[in-house]
Amino acid sequence: MVSPHGSEPRAVFDAVFAGESAVRLCRTGTDEFGGDALLALSDFDPSPRISKAQARLQSRAAQMAVCATHDALEATGLLGDTQSLQDTGVYMGCGLGGSEVLQDAYRVYFVRKSRRLNPVTVPLIMASGPASHMSMRFGARGPSHTFSVACASSSVAIGEAFRAIRDGYIDRVLAGGSEAMLNDGSVAAWQRLGVMASPHPNGAQASSRPFDKDRTGLVLGEGSVVLVLESEEVAAERGADPIAEIVGYGASSDAHNLTEPDADGQERAVRAALADAGVDARDVGYVNAHGTGTLAGDAVELDVMARVFGPGAPGVAVSSTKSVHGHLVGAAGALECALTAFALKRGQIPPTAHLKTPTPDTDIDLVPRVGRAAPELKVALSNSFAFGGSNATLVLKRT
Amino acid sequence: MSVYDHIAKILAEEYEVDEAVIRPDASMAELGLDSLMVVEFLFCIEDEFEIEVPEERAEFATLGEAAALVDTLIAEKG
Repeated sequence: MVSPHGSEPRAVFDAVFAGESAVRLCRTGTDEFGGDALLALSDFDPSPRISKAQARLQSRAAQMAVCATHDALEATGLLGDTQSLQDTGVYMGCGLGGSEVLQDAYRVYFVRKSRRLNPVTVPLIMASGPASHMSMRFGARGPSHTFSVACASSSVAIGEAFRAIRDGYIDRVLAGGSEAMLNDGSVAAWQRLGVMASPHPNGAQASSRPFDKDRTGLVLGEGSVVLVLESEEVAAERGADPIAEIVGYGASSDAHNLTEPDADGQERAVRAALADAGVDARDVGYVNAHGTGTLAGDAVELDVMARVFGPGAPGVAVSSTKSVHGHLVGAAGALECALTAFALKRGQIPPTAHLKTPTPDTDIDLVPRVGRAAPELKVALSNSFAFGGSNATLVLKRT
Repeated sequence: MSVYDHIAKILAEEYEVDEAVIRPDASMAELGLDSLMVVEFLFCIEDEFEIEVPEERAEFATLGEAAALVDTLIAEKG
């Protein structure tokens, strides 16, 4: 993975569990009309995995996806195993694609007043670029799909990959998401939407405050997370040691509003995921919430948790790890699914960092500030609720 | 620095092409550049030398021929 907390998955989980925030106040754009923004940047260098010549044909999101895939395949022992990878699929989520490339192209067009754009602009900006480069680089010749579903993109990608495997269409999928939209043009657009957090008096690091009274909005992050999903048979054949098992997926649409969340729509996704998994709500021990830190979004998600699990959601811990890694948009669901998998593997529930006063007032256990051991944890959910009213929930089980 | 040397330096530094294969008679394929990379490389060269390579003249088999084309276009530009 490529994430604001680094690239080694276990170390990333440790940092998130410890509540270490990767959020910083950054200066973006030009001296002339740049601005300050709270961001969770990934310290990313594509070399040496990607040569400079190859990097010139890949957006930042594609580069991140290739590097995340390289590491995932290396960790599973599949790197260079062309035989095993020849029928492997690629299912990726991506919101914007190569937005920095589009920004550069528009700069040439509008500022230099020239039509002499970089001739490879088109293949660099397409949202399917990350999936394409993953397939080409690693010889994955199964279907390669890109799901662009805003903040739910990579949860949908993982969910659809899970179904394709469970339904017998494919044995192995490289599934996840990639997003790198922290260039100034995109950040300025997000700021105009009025959903971005402002710096907290305790410091920039404490500014992503899901569920807290002092929350002021979301913090954008960037990165790519790729999971190696396999059927039980294929995983067993090669003696794989799975981190966790995906057992259910539910998706729904609000059919309501472009940006305003809707409890009914979200509830249908969560219930559909539980039904798909054949899991009773009482068996769920942890929910990695969508929890972006917006005023409206967090309140609606708490309402949904109470509807599904009962008043106060007894026995369920609900935390938002976006409090420390920010909102990775098209890669958010993949990072949070990975963290949820490690929570099951380790028996450790990561906290909602910075949470002091839950608002609205609730009896739901939001794991404030400090993570905890949960050796009995067996089933967990990961929620992703997107602009446009697209909702996706994944159900994971300890193996 | 000659145009050829300048282009060779770009290939080595900006494209990480192995210096051992950078020779005047090397084809683009031998330099590790596929067709799309060549298009992008030409764009980079145009920017570097502040020239425009007309589409009908963008034909060269080797690095040496590419450098000669750039030499000619610089001279034509005056």
